[in-house]
Amino acid sequence: MAILQTHNLSKHFGGVHALDRLSIQLKPGQITGIIGPNGSGKSTLVNVLTGIYPSDSGAVILGGEQLKTIRSPEVRDYGLTRTFQEVRLFEQIPALDNILVALTERGVFRALFERHKILHQTRAREILERVGLWEKRRALARELSYGQRKLLEIGRALAMDPKIILFDEPYAGLFPEMMKQVNGILRELRTQGLAIALIEHNMDLIRELADHVIVLDGGELLAEGPPAEVLARREVIEAYLGE
Amino acid sequence: MEIFTQLALNSLIAGATYSLVALGFNLVFGTTRFLNMGHGAVASVGGYMVLALARNGHLPFTVSVFLAVLAAGLLGWLIDRLVYAPLRTRRASSSVLVITSLGVLIVLQSLLAIIFTSQFWTLAAPSVWFATVFSIGSGNITGLQLTLILASVLIFSGGWLVLRFSDFGKQVRAVGDDEEVARIIGVPSERVIGGTVFWGSAVAGLAGVLVGLDTGVYPTMGLLLLLSAATASIIGGLGSVTGALLGAYLLGFVENFGIWFIPSGWKTAISFGVLVIFLLFRPHGILNKEK
Repeated sequence: MAILQTHNLSKHFGGVHALDRLSIQLKPGQITGIIGPNGSGKSTLVNVLTGIYPSDSGAVILGGEQLKTIRSPEVRDYGLTRTFQEVRLFEQIPALDNILVALTERGVFRALFERHKILHQTRAREILERVGLWEKRRALARELSYGQRKLLEIGRALAMDPKIILFDEPYAGLFPEMMKQVNGILRELRTQGLAIALIEHNMDLIRELADHVIVLDGGELLAEGPPAEVLARREVIEAYLGE
Repeated sequence: MEIFTQLALNSLIAGATYSLVALGFNLVFGTTRFLNMGHGAVASVGGYMVLALARNGHLPFTVSVFLAVLAAGLLGWLIDRLVYAPLRTRRASSSVLVITSLGVLIVLQSLLAIIFTSQFWTLAAPSVWFATVFSIGSGNITGLQLTLILASVLIFSGGWLVLRFSDFGKQVRAVGDDEEVARIIGVPSERVIGGTVFWGSAVAGLAGVLVGLDTGVYPTMGLLLLLSAATASIIGGLGSVTGALLGAYLLGFVENFGIWFIPSGWKTAISFGVLVIFLLFRPHGILNKEK
């Protein structure tokens, strides 16, 4: 049973079809690899699903609700979150606060008079330890290395206690040690029953991690199925070689 | 030495005035990333509210000041909701927002001129404390001017503590860094912006009241307050509250000590000269890091 489905989802930028009647689904407890050459619509899909771009037509079925488009303030309510291809953190605040801001959703007046409770602090510590950044908790986000920033962004996604996480190239630019750490996190999230979308160019990682693969080309669904089968298909190889 | 003390006191008074307007200006810039030109007019509304309520409406002075500060905060918030928020929703560029805010400044100034005439009005200081002249060394300062400096110190300390330690402060800084991401992770970004605009506008309103009590009110006073606040903010570092404070007092000192050497008619030219120097050599201001 899918937790997130798109039905004929389309997004155009001028004359460019970034997404063209795309119908896909993400299932709980499954890592869905989303692959395709540059410009195939992978990041646009994530941006439409998280309300950064409104869709032009089609629908998203999320939590049993059919939506024409998703507005970004509602993303969290649907248990959905994401990471970005180019890391986007809150640069001026410490690593710990980057997690704390995501950990609790609260109104302005409550936030003015309350401070994060011990429960939140404990959870923030767990998350920072999970991504190996507890020692760096006081460092401003902008002071962290590229890999640490990627890990902090993953930590922020975990802090939202989501049901679905869309990872946009989480391994790009990471050292092997950090890649292992991300691997561990993804496997753990799958075991916990989360639905995971993994945009990735590294086919070895897709073979190793993905339960299901979706191939996009020119905003359209080119192929989908188990990784071993999909990655051997001629049109998929051609789409990549033709890049 | 006599003149030195007086100039130092004058610098502190000017710095305090600029800092109160610059605080709101920088808070709004910090969350919305545009230079809100209408902010100066919101400050002058504070002064005019006291004129309307205390002088013409015969309300007790403290009640008038409280209502004036509240009115300035609400006005700033209302303008944000009715004018800037819809533009943000349509992804208007910061240039569009700046030009719109210039329109807001002109409309508010015109409304003040229509309601209160273009005449210069003095606000009576009802308290003996305000009019009392204190001697510090060889310089003199009135109780009102001391209140202005005290208000600057207290409001900045409070503001710094809120931004540094409260959850709201974290939300404000998160929205300032990346409003889109803040929204996605569940920060109520529009309410955070609204709260910040209310806060900044209320402080600007208080500045308008204190400046009005010190030097009087006139419809275009907001523009001068705005220019000084914007200059102070750019010098200190746009978006940084500590930068606003630093820039405001630095500007106050440069302006006042500058006229020790050159005629006082050049005071405004000095502040703009400093602005040009910063824009040329350190456009990100004293506290911001170069991007």
